[in-house]
Amino acid sequence: MDDDIILNEVATRVVPMICLFGVYIIFNGHLSPGGGFAGGTVIGVAMVLFSLVFGLRATFAMVPENLLILLTSLGPLWYAVTGLVGVFRGVGFLANANAGINLGAPGSLFSAGLIPVITFGVGISVAITVTILFVILVEAD
Amino acid sequence: MAAVIDVFVRNYPYVYAVLLFAIGVYTLLSNPNLIKKVIGLNIASTAVFLFYIAMGNVRGRLEPLVDPAHPHAEFVNPIPTALILTGIVVSISVTAFALSLVLKLFRHYGMLNAEEMVRLRGTIDEDH
Repeated sequence: MDDDIILNEVATRVVPMICLFGVYIIFNGHLSPGGGFAGGTVIGVAMVLFSLVFGLRATFAMVPENLLILLTSLGPLWYAVTGLVGVFRGVGFLANANAGINLGAPGSLFSAGLIPVITFGVGISVAITVTILFVILVEAD
Repeated sequence: MAAVIDVFVRNYPYVYAVLLFAIGVYTLLSNPNLIKKVIGLNIASTAVFLFYIAMGNVRGRLEPLVDPAHPHAEFVNPIPTALILTGIVVSISVTAFALSLVLKLFRHYGMLNAEEMVRLRGTIDEDH
Protein backbone atom coordinates (compact mmCIF):
# COMPACT_ATOMS: atom_id res chain seq x y z
CA MET A 1 0.00 0.00 0.00
CA ASP A 2 2.86 2.39 0.79
CA ASP A 3 5.48 1.18 -1.69
CA ASP A 4 3.52 1.31 -4.96
CA ILE A 5 5.48 3.97 -6.87
CA ILE A 6 2.97 4.42 -9.73
CA LEU A 7 0.04 4.82 -7.35
CA ASN A 8 1.97 7.30 -5.18
CA GLU A 9 3.22 9.44 -8.06
CA VAL A 10 -0.13 9.56 -9.88
CA ALA A 11 -2.05 10.35 -6.69
CA THR A 12 0.36 13.16 -5.71
CA ARG A 13 -0.31 14.86 -9.03
CA VAL A 14 -4.02 14.10 -9.40
CA VAL A 15 -5.38 14.85 -5.90
CA PRO A 16 -4.60 18.63 -5.93
CA MET A 17 -6.15 18.96 -9.40
CA ILE A 18 -9.34 17.18 -8.29
CA CYS A 19 -9.55 19.51 -5.26
CA LEU A 20 -9.03 22.58 -7.48
CA PHE A 21 -11.75 21.37 -9.87
CA GLY A 22 -14.11 20.92 -6.92
CA VAL A 23 -13.45 24.48 -5.73
CA TYR A 24 -14.06 25.72 -9.30
CA ILE A 25 -17.42 23.90 -9.43
CA ILE A 26 -18.44 25.31 -6.03
CA PHE A 27 -17.61 28.91 -6.90
CA ASN A 28 -19.29 28.70 -10.32
CA GLY A 29 -22.41 27.07 -8.89
CA HIS A 30 -24.64 30.07 -9.60
CA LEU A 31 -23.37 30.46 -13.18
CA SER A 32 -23.02 26.97 -14.62
CA PRO A 33 -24.18 23.41 -13.89
CA GLY A 34 -22.83 22.27 -10.56
CA GLY A 35 -22.77 24.00 -7.22
CA GLY A 36 -22.09 23.07 -3.64
CA PHE A 37 -23.46 19.55 -3.86
CA ALA A 38 -21.46 18.50 -6.94
CA GLY A 39 -18.27 20.40 -6.04
CA GLY A 40 -18.31 19.16 -2.47
CA THR A 41 -18.62 15.59 -3.72
CA VAL A 42 -15.62 16.08 -6.01
CA ILE A 43 -13.50 17.36 -3.08
CA GLY A 44 -14.73 14.50 -0.89
CA VAL A 45 -13.74 11.96 -3.55
CA ALA A 46 -10.27 13.53 -3.67
CA MET A 47 -10.01 13.04 0.10
CA VAL A 48 -11.12 9.40 -0.22
CA LEU A 49 -8.48 8.84 -2.93
CA PHE A 50 -5.84 10.47 -0.72
CA SER A 51 -6.63 8.28 2.28
CA LEU A 52 -6.81 5.14 0.10
CA VAL A 53 -3.34 5.78 -1.33
CA PHE A 54 -1.44 7.38 1.57
CA GLY A 55 -3.21 5.74 4.50
CA LEU A 56 -5.27 7.06 7.38
CA ARG A 57 -2.33 8.46 9.36
CA ALA A 58 -1.38 10.89 6.57
CA THR A 59 -5.03 11.93 6.20
CA PHE A 60 -5.41 12.69 9.89
CA ALA A 61 -2.08 14.58 9.82
CA MET A 62 -3.57 16.80 7.11
CA VAL A 63 -7.14 17.09 8.48
CA PRO A 64 -7.35 16.17 12.19
CA GLU A 65 -10.40 14.22 13.29
CA ASN A 66 -11.66 17.03 15.55
CA LEU A 67 -11.45 19.47 12.64
CA LEU A 68 -13.50 17.06 10.49
CA ILE A 69 -16.24 16.86 13.13
CA LEU A 70 -16.14 20.65 13.60
CA LEU A 71 -16.49 21.26 9.85
CA THR A 72 -19.44 18.84 9.54
CA SER A 73 -21.31 21.03 11.97
CA LEU A 74 -20.04 24.23 10.39
CA GLY A 75 -21.74 23.53 7.03
CA PRO A 76 -25.36 23.45 8.29
CA LEU A 77 -24.59 26.32 10.70
CA TRP A 78 -23.29 28.41 7.79
CA TYR A 79 -26.48 27.63 5.85
CA ALA A 80 -28.73 28.56 8.79
CA VAL A 81 -26.88 31.82 9.52
CA THR A 82 -27.05 32.83 5.83
CA GLY A 83 -30.76 32.05 5.81
CA LEU A 84 -31.34 34.12 8.94
CA VAL A 85 -30.03 37.25 7.18
CA GLY A 86 -33.42 37.48 5.48
CA VAL A 87 -35.24 37.00 8.79
CA PHE A 88 -33.31 39.85 10.44
CA ARG A 89 -34.06 42.11 7.48
CA GLY A 90 -37.76 41.48 8.14
CA VAL A 91 -38.45 39.32 5.07
CA GLY A 92 -38.41 35.49 5.10
CA PHE A 93 -35.93 32.71 5.72
CA LEU A 94 -33.37 32.49 2.88
CA ALA A 95 -34.62 35.72 1.28
CA ASN A 96 -32.16 37.11 -1.25
CA ALA A 97 -33.25 40.03 -3.42
CA ASN A 98 -36.19 40.82 -1.11
CA ALA A 99 -33.75 41.33 1.77
CA GLY A 100 -32.18 44.23 -0.11
CA ILE A 101 -29.00 42.44 -1.19
CA ASN A 102 -27.37 43.70 -4.38
CA LEU A 103 -27.63 40.91 -6.98
CA GLY A 104 -24.96 42.29 -9.32
CA ALA A 105 -24.74 41.72 -13.07
CA PRO A 106 -26.06 38.30 -14.14
CA GLY A 107 -23.27 36.11 -15.49
CA SER A 108 -20.42 37.64 -13.47
CA LEU A 109 -18.61 35.67 -10.77
CA PHE A 110 -19.64 37.95 -7.89
CA SER A 111 -23.37 38.08 -8.45
CA ALA A 112 -26.63 36.45 -7.32
CA GLY A 113 -26.36 37.81 -3.78
CA LEU A 114 -26.40 35.10 -1.11
CA ILE A 115 -26.47 32.07 -3.46
CA PRO A 116 -22.62 31.69 -3.72
CA VAL A 117 -22.34 32.13 0.05
CA ILE A 118 -24.85 29.34 0.69
CA THR A 119 -23.24 27.18 -2.00
CA PHE A 120 -19.92 27.47 -0.15
CA GLY A 121 -21.54 26.15 3.06
CA VAL A 122 -23.17 23.27 1.19
CA GLY A 123 -19.82 22.46 -0.44
CA ILE A 124 -18.01 22.25 2.92
CA SER A 125 -20.77 20.10 4.38
CA VAL A 126 -20.93 17.58 1.52
CA ALA A 127 -17.12 17.32 1.13
CA ILE A 128 -16.58 16.59 4.82
CA THR A 129 -19.54 14.17 4.97
CA VAL A 130 -18.18 12.05 2.11
CA THR A 131 -14.73 12.11 3.73
CA ILE A 132 -16.08 11.16 7.16
CA LEU A 133 -18.20 8.34 5.71
CA PHE A 134 -15.01 6.72 4.49
CA VAL A 135 -12.44 7.73 7.11
CA ILE A 136 -14.40 7.07 10.30
CA LEU A 137 -15.62 3.67 9.07
CA VAL A 138 -12.12 2.53 8.12
CA GLU A 139 -10.70 3.79 11.39
CA ALA A 140 -13.31 2.12 13.65
CA ASP A 141 -12.56 -1.44 14.77
CA MET B 1 -40.16 -4.02 -38.80
CA ALA B 2 -38.82 -0.73 -40.13
CA ALA B 3 -41.01 1.13 -37.64
CA VAL B 4 -39.56 -0.88 -34.75
CA ILE B 5 -36.00 -0.20 -35.92
CA ASP B 6 -36.88 3.47 -36.30
CA VAL B 7 -38.09 3.63 -32.67
CA PHE B 8 -34.82 2.11 -31.46
CA VAL B 9 -32.68 4.40 -33.63
CA ARG B 10 -34.49 7.53 -32.49
CA ASN B 11 -34.30 6.52 -28.83
CA TYR B 12 -30.72 5.27 -28.89
CA PRO B 13 -29.80 6.63 -25.40
CA TYR B 14 -32.29 4.19 -23.86
CA VAL B 15 -30.67 1.26 -25.68
CA TYR B 16 -27.25 2.33 -24.44
CA ALA B 17 -28.64 2.76 -20.90
CA VAL B 18 -30.03 -0.80 -20.91
CA LEU B 19 -26.71 -2.14 -22.29
CA LEU B 20 -24.70 -0.26 -19.65
CA PHE B 21 -26.99 -1.50 -16.89
CA ALA B 22 -26.61 -5.08 -18.11
CA ILE B 23 -22.80 -4.71 -18.18
CA GLY B 24 -22.81 -3.27 -14.66
CA VAL B 25 -25.07 -5.93 -13.15
CA TYR B 26 -23.14 -8.71 -14.93
CA THR B 27 -19.86 -7.39 -13.49
CA LEU B 28 -21.44 -7.05 -10.05
CA LEU B 29 -22.75 -10.63 -10.01
CA SER B 30 -20.12 -12.60 -11.93
CA ASN B 31 -16.82 -11.12 -10.74
CA PRO B 32 -15.46 -12.42 -7.42
CA ASN B 33 -13.11 -9.43 -6.97
CA LEU B 34 -14.69 -6.96 -4.53
CA ILE B 35 -13.17 -3.84 -6.14
CA LYS B 36 -14.58 -4.94 -9.51
CA LYS B 37 -17.96 -5.47 -7.86
CA VAL B 38 -17.84 -1.81 -6.73
CA ILE B 39 -16.92 -0.77 -10.28
CA GLY B 40 -19.88 -2.78 -11.62
CA LEU B 41 -22.23 -1.08 -9.16
CA ASN B 42 -20.97 2.29 -10.40
CA ILE B 43 -21.49 1.35 -14.05
CA ALA B 44 -25.06 0.22 -13.29
CA SER B 45 -25.89 3.48 -11.49
CA THR B 46 -24.36 5.47 -14.37
CA ALA B 47 -26.79 3.67 -16.69
CA VAL B 48 -29.70 4.87 -14.54
CA PHE B 49 -28.36 8.45 -14.68
CA LEU B 50 -28.07 8.25 -18.49
CA PHE B 51 -31.65 6.95 -18.72
CA TYR B 52 -33.03 9.80 -16.62
CA ILE B 53 -31.01 12.54 -18.33
CA ALA B 54 -32.01 11.24 -21.78
CA MET B 55 -35.64 11.23 -20.66
CA GLY B 56 -35.47 14.86 -19.49
CA ASN B 57 -33.73 16.08 -22.62
CA VAL B 58 -35.68 17.84 -25.39
CA ARG B 59 -33.88 18.22 -28.71
CA GLY B 60 -33.12 21.79 -29.73
CA ARG B 61 -33.60 23.33 -26.30
CA LEU B 62 -30.96 24.91 -24.07
CA GLU B 63 -29.81 23.94 -20.60
CA PRO B 64 -31.83 25.69 -17.87
CA LEU B 65 -29.44 28.57 -17.14
CA VAL B 66 -30.23 32.28 -17.12
CA ASP B 67 -28.29 33.62 -20.08
CA PRO B 68 -28.43 37.38 -20.81
CA ALA B 69 -27.65 36.65 -24.49
CA HIS B 70 -30.83 34.53 -24.93
CA PRO B 71 -33.54 36.07 -22.73
CA HIS B 72 -36.42 34.19 -24.42
CA ALA B 73 -34.76 30.80 -25.04
CA GLU B 74 -36.71 27.61 -24.35
CA PHE B 75 -35.24 25.34 -21.69
CA VAL B 76 -35.32 21.62 -21.02
CA ASN B 77 -37.01 20.42 -17.86
CA PRO B 78 -34.49 20.92 -15.04
CA ILE B 79 -36.14 18.47 -12.61
CA PRO B 80 -34.55 15.21 -13.96
CA THR B 81 -31.13 16.91 -13.96
CA ALA B 82 -31.54 18.08 -10.37
CA LEU B 83 -32.77 14.62 -9.31
CA ILE B 84 -29.77 12.98 -10.96
CA LEU B 85 -27.40 15.42 -9.26
CA THR B 86 -28.71 14.04 -5.96
CA GLY B 87 -28.43 10.52 -7.36
CA ILE B 88 -24.77 11.04 -8.30
CA VAL B 89 -23.92 12.25 -4.81
CA VAL B 90 -25.74 9.26 -3.26
CA SER B 91 -23.92 6.90 -5.63
CA ILE B 92 -20.54 8.38 -4.68
CA SER B 93 -21.38 8.16 -0.97
CA VAL B 94 -22.34 4.49 -1.44
CA THR B 95 -19.02 3.95 -3.26
CA ALA B 96 -17.07 5.54 -0.39
CA PHE B 97 -18.95 3.36 2.11
CA ALA B 98 -18.38 0.20 0.02
CA LEU B 99 -14.68 1.01 -0.40
CA SER B 100 -14.25 1.40 3.35
CA LEU B 101 -15.89 -2.01 3.89
CA VAL B 102 -13.66 -3.55 1.20
CA LEU B 103 -10.60 -2.06 2.90
CA LYS B 104 -11.64 -3.58 6.25
CA LEU B 105 -12.26 -6.97 4.61
CA PHE B 106 -8.87 -6.79 2.88
CA ARG B 107 -7.14 -6.07 6.19
CA HIS B 108 -8.96 -8.98 7.83
CA TYR B 109 -8.58 -11.63 5.11
CA GLY B 110 -5.58 -10.34 3.14
CA MET B 111 -7.36 -10.76 -0.22
CA LEU B 112 -10.20 -9.33 -2.30
CA ASN B 113 -11.77 -12.54 -3.62
CA ALA B 114 -15.33 -12.84 -2.26
CA GLU B 115 -15.72 -16.55 -3.09
CA GLU B 116 -12.45 -17.41 -1.31
CA MET B 117 -13.64 -15.41 1.70
CA VAL B 118 -16.89 -17.38 1.86
CA ARG B 119 -14.95 -20.67 1.58
CA LEU B 120 -12.50 -19.56 4.29
CA ARG B 121 -15.36 -18.57 6.56
CA GLY B 122 -16.97 -21.96 6.02
CA THR B 123 -13.84 -23.85 7.09
CA ILE B 124 -13.40 -21.61 10.14
CA ASP B 125 -16.99 -22.30 11.22
CA GLU B 126 -16.44 -26.05 10.82
CA ASP B 127 -13.35 -25.94 13.03
CA HIS B 128 -15.17 -24.30 15.92
